[in-house]
Amino acid sequence: MQYGMIIDLERCVGCHACTIACKAEWEVPVDFGRNWVYRMGPSLVGTEMASTYYPGLCNHCEDPVCVPECPADAEEMTFTDAKTGKTATVEVAATWKDPFDGTVQIDKARCLGCGACADVCPYNARYINPDLVDDVSDEGKADKCTYCKPRVDAGLEPACVQTCITDARIFGDLSDPDSAVSRYVKNGAVGIEPNGGELGPNSRYYGKKKDMALLMETQTPELANLSHVRRRAMLASLVKPAMKKAKNIGLLGVVGAVIAKGVMDSNKEE
Amino acid sequence: MAFNLTRRKFLQSASLAAVALPLSEVIASESGIQRSPLETPGSFQDKTVVGGICEMCFWRCQLTGKTRNDRLVKIEGNPKSIDNGTAICARGNAGIQLLYDPDRLKYPLKNVGERGNPKWKRISWDEALKECGTKLKEVEEKYGPQGISVFPHGSTAKYPMHFFERAVGTHNVSEASFFQCRGIRDTAYVATTGMPPGEFVDMPNSKAILLIGSHLGENVHVSHIKRYIKGLQNGAKLIVVDPRYSASAAKSDIWVKIKPGTDTAFLLAIMNYLITEKKYDQDFVEEYGYGFDELAAGIKEWSFEKAAKECDVPAAQIKEVADLLAESAPGVSIHPGRHVSWYGNDFQRQRSLACLTGLLGAYFVKGGWVPGKNPKVGGVSWAKKEHEGEHNLNVDEDDEYLHPFSPPGTPTELIRDAALTGKPYPIKGCVIWGQNPIQTIPGQEKMKDVLRQMDFVMCVDVMPTDATMWADILLPEVSYLERYDYIKTGTQWNFADKQQQYISARMPLVKPMFERKDQVYITNEIARLMGYEKDIPVQTVEEMVEKNLEVAGLTLEQLRKEDGIHIREGKNPYQMPEDFEVMFYNEDIEDAGFPGIPTYVTVEQPPKGFLRLLYGRVPVHTFNRSQNNIWLNKAMPDNPVWLNDALAAKMGLKDGDVVGFVNQDGFKSRTTTTVKTTPGIRTDGVYMAHGYGSSNPLMSVGVDAGVDDTSLMTKITVDPETGAHGMRNNFVKITKDGKVIEIPASA
Amino acid sequence: MPSSLSTDHVSTLYRFCAQSMQYPEPNWFTAQYLTSLSTLLETLGGKNEVRLLQKTFDASLDPIEDLQVEHTRLFINGVPHVAAPPYASVYLEKTLKGKYSEEVLLFYQSHGYTMTENADLPDSLIHQLEFLSFVAEDQNRSAEEEFLKRFFLPWFSTFSARVTKEAQHPFYQIIISIIEFFTKEEEEYGVQLNEA
Repeated sequence: MQYGMIIDLERCVGCHACTIACKAEWEVPVDFGRNWVYRMGPSLVGTEMASTYYPGLCNHCEDPVCVPECPADAEEMTFTDAKTGKTATVEVAATWKDPFDGTVQIDKARCLGCGACADVCPYNARYINPDLVDDVSDEGKADKCTYCKPRVDAGLEPACVQTCITDARIFGDLSDPDSAVSRYVKNGAVGIEPNGGELGPNSRYYGKKKDMALLMETQTPELANLSHVRRRAMLASLVKPAMKKAKNIGLLGVVGAVIAKGVMDSNKEE
Repeated sequence: MAFNLTRRKFLQSASLAAVALPLSEVIASESGIQRSPLETPGSFQDKTVVGGICEMCFWRCQLTGKTRNDRLVKIEGNPKSIDNGTAICARGNAGIQLLYDPDRLKYPLKNVGERGNPKWKRISWDEALKECGTKLKEVEEKYGPQGISVFPHGSTAKYPMHFFERAVGTHNVSEASFFQCRGIRDTAYVATTGMPPGEFVDMPNSKAILLIGSHLGENVHVSHIKRYIKGLQNGAKLIVVDPRYSASAAKSDIWVKIKPGTDTAFLLAIMNYLITEKKYDQDFVEEYGYGFDELAAGIKEWSFEKAAKECDVPAAQIKEVADLLAESAPGVSIHPGRHVSWYGNDFQRQRSLACLTGLLGAYFVKGGWVPGKNPKVGGVSWAKKEHEGEHNLNVDEDDEYLHPFSPPGTPTELIRDAALTGKPYPIKGCVIWGQNPIQTIPGQEKMKDVLRQMDFVMCVDVMPTDATMWADILLPEVSYLERYDYIKTGTQWNFADKQQQYISARMPLVKPMFERKDQVYITNEIARLMGYEKDIPVQTVEEMVEKNLEVAGLTLEQLRKEDGIHIREGKNPYQMPEDFEVMFYNEDIEDAGFPGIPTYVTVEQPPKGFLRLLYGRVPVHTFNRSQNNIWLNKAMPDNPVWLNDALAAKMGLKDGDVVGFVNQDGFKSRTTTTVKTTPGIRTDGVYMAHGYGSSNPLMSVGVDAGVDDTSLMTKITVDPETGAHGMRNNFVKITKDGKVIEIPASA
Repeated sequence: MPSSLSTDHVSTLYRFCAQSMQYPEPNWFTAQYLTSLSTLLETLGGKNEVRLLQKTFDASLDPIEDLQVEHTRLFINGVPHVAAPPYASVYLEKTLKGKYSEEVLLFYQSHGYTMTENADLPDSLIHQLEFLSFVAEDQNRSAEEEFLKRFFLPWFSTFSARVTKEAQHPFYQIIISIIEFFTKEEEEYGVQLNEA
């Protein structure tokens, strides 16, 4: 199974309902977004006037460039197929591609907040959420579109799909040839590949020829400079655990005192 | 402040018994505590509250709320809705940011400074209401009821408006939705077909859709957009007439890049062609038409060539449009538009649209103009009392109407002129309820002078808009998410589906915070103080809703049980009503001194070196009420000015250049915006989105972001038939770094 | 171990600060209140502040109305925007009643306190100070410290900076600096006071 999303640009009117619904559903901080809508044009495509939109989100790629860059220690995780109940145990870092539904997810508790995954994503689909801090990272945690996995697992549509005023967003299983999303792919829906990359984006676009040309012309990204990303990630993996350790010691001291005080207080009350 | 002690030393030395003050009440209870999880839980696990009706704009979609404890976390479309369904737009989704906006009005305020430059002081409701009641009564006694003017907007403003109109007896009511928006459309269609047209076009089932200026997509009303997109998906051809390559032009089959102000000429040429080539619906005209011959004779001169010259578009393209409409008739959606207060010649354009619909036989047919058959509910409000004389400013000494096709109320300019001259009588009291006359009405300085000369001004709103700065007393109203009031009725959005009707009533999704009150409470209290206690029609807003629902055999209780929406069997929407008539020629219009058939009236073109200021919408803003919404603000933080790319190159301007404006009267924009160069706009105008450029010095986001288009409208034009404003007759030059960038002579 | 006397003082101080942030009304903004404030300021070495307050009040025809106007402008509704809403969520989440509001309420509840029927929002400055005064009275030093660290200090500095910048009347600048003084000190010395 591979979840995917189609954006039908013939239907899209660029209204931003999808981006705001996502903000509300996942309480995304006001300065960030898990998805976006850009307006392109009006400009000439050949001799034709064109204007369309780029409603973007995580592509949950076939071969995601973000996943291998995560410097967090790999741990065994057990995944469950929501349909069959089958399980699989895989060693993954703090971000991975789900072996059953094909979505790319993040374990925020283990995320070091180094930003390597965000830097390497050519689509800028990830950001570091500064509101999510803990003892592992006080700078925040990587965050992005999850294809609304918790909603989908509960049998609902992703929030952006549910609110889309023209049904321009279609969600489903790309590996099922009879699904609506697969039919769109057969009719020519394509993802936006970065220049020189083959990531296999699973969020795909469908539209008039001139609009698709405008989309590709203006929104095809470049691959990130991996050596930069890797140096940062390496630094993070070296420095962060050390910091974390130091912090934990300090914190233990305080917590210990608090607990001791708490016990004393409760004794007194009794 | 530098204290010379540490707290510790202080504690050791000082005794603080003297400063001890009473504790607040507390009730102790035990509960657990947990650290907030890193992953937000998602709203779908939260409690669902039904009965919401949106009012981020006035389409009013049906909502449900997701609440966690007593906090509204998310707003969604009501899945039971056959109108918007689970879909709501960006503004609807962002409603919680209005609900919890820190800048929202919270308590009654009294202005102890001056109007326009207020010093607010929080006062009690008792004091605030007493002040309003007493001061308005003084005006009423001294100048008569006509001395009170009312500027209402939105569903809460109806009840107080009716109080002042019907019980107190003033005619001086200026609704922005009429005089600065759609009033012209409504009276022009009433003068043609006897019915206001709404936007009732059966687009899902159309073969062709004609939009004059309506930029659907930039302007979003959910079920309307559903109809539009469904129509296109079903293969309807789309014709968009607009000086700009708008959002809908981008989806069009034919884009008519028309010269601003000339739309009527375009429509007359099409009608003339349909008539002379006998491509109109002869059976329909025979059966339902009136004054066809007068129309045919009167528009004979309008050849494609003549219109092409006037409209600056190819004659062949006008013919292409005319042929497409003729081929597709009667299943064509001639869209009546919504905001149509453009050039001061708008009544005639709206008449033309209504007549063109008639020539195509496109009333009450599949794909044409079809209003749908809504269920009936009540409309309890103040009863009309007898008053001595109407004191209608729209009627002159000889009992003639100045603007005979004015929408209900009194044209804004007549009220403002009377207030400023004291003739024929003074206007000294002002009630502003949900409207922002400073930013919605052209001539900002004039409006300020009007407010300055009042004896008393009160404002009721949810947000501290620019107009509220002119209030003596400012009252905080509950928002649409916290109150009962509006009953929304309608049908399923696609007439091709099973015929159904729905009734839904606005019910609060959350409790009001601070001291915000509803319109029935506020109005009734003022009415009591003004001596109208006996006329009060309902004691609470809930009672009003119950009475209105009773007409349909419903109660709030029942609606709640039905998840907020009652659905029943519908009626055939295509059934033509008895006595339906299309008046191609209207005697009454002619008797009133205006052309009896649709007639093109030229508008002033930009003086050399100037560009016409065109404005429109972005899908994330509705008027100025959404300006301060942080989610919407972040989605589109400013309003870049569209400038033709070839013209920009000649002027030396490029994308992203920061520019300001100076208009024909030398008025300079207070703020700047950026340039967006595009081939998608004509060379005789510039375009920007309305609703930006708030002058707010303390706004945390978007302070001075973009330009306030209304501020540049210092020239006031009035549509003579209706008295409504024309708002696209101002001309600007672009300035950069304070200097005017002239348009080169070669351009 | 902290003496019970000093804990009472802490509690009283918090409550005094909370009271000072209430909308100014003649029923509490009395000569006695001002005397107490002066005494407090003088003990802290704030002679200049006392003089400044005295001067401002002397120059006014209606000192309470002036303060009401200032309170309204700073904390309720300014023109056209309120300068410094006294609610934490505004600074942390740019909205009223954010997630923070819920968390702060949970914290109150976990220490045996809850909001009364007509209370303001749980994250309001006044209620936070009241809560601090109650836990101080309970001699629950750990709760006081944790609250300051987790809930109070993360927003208060932004808030106080805005008040300092926007205030036109010295009263609120002075009250805010008193609050700042005591809350910062409290955190700094809290652990040491508890070391026994």
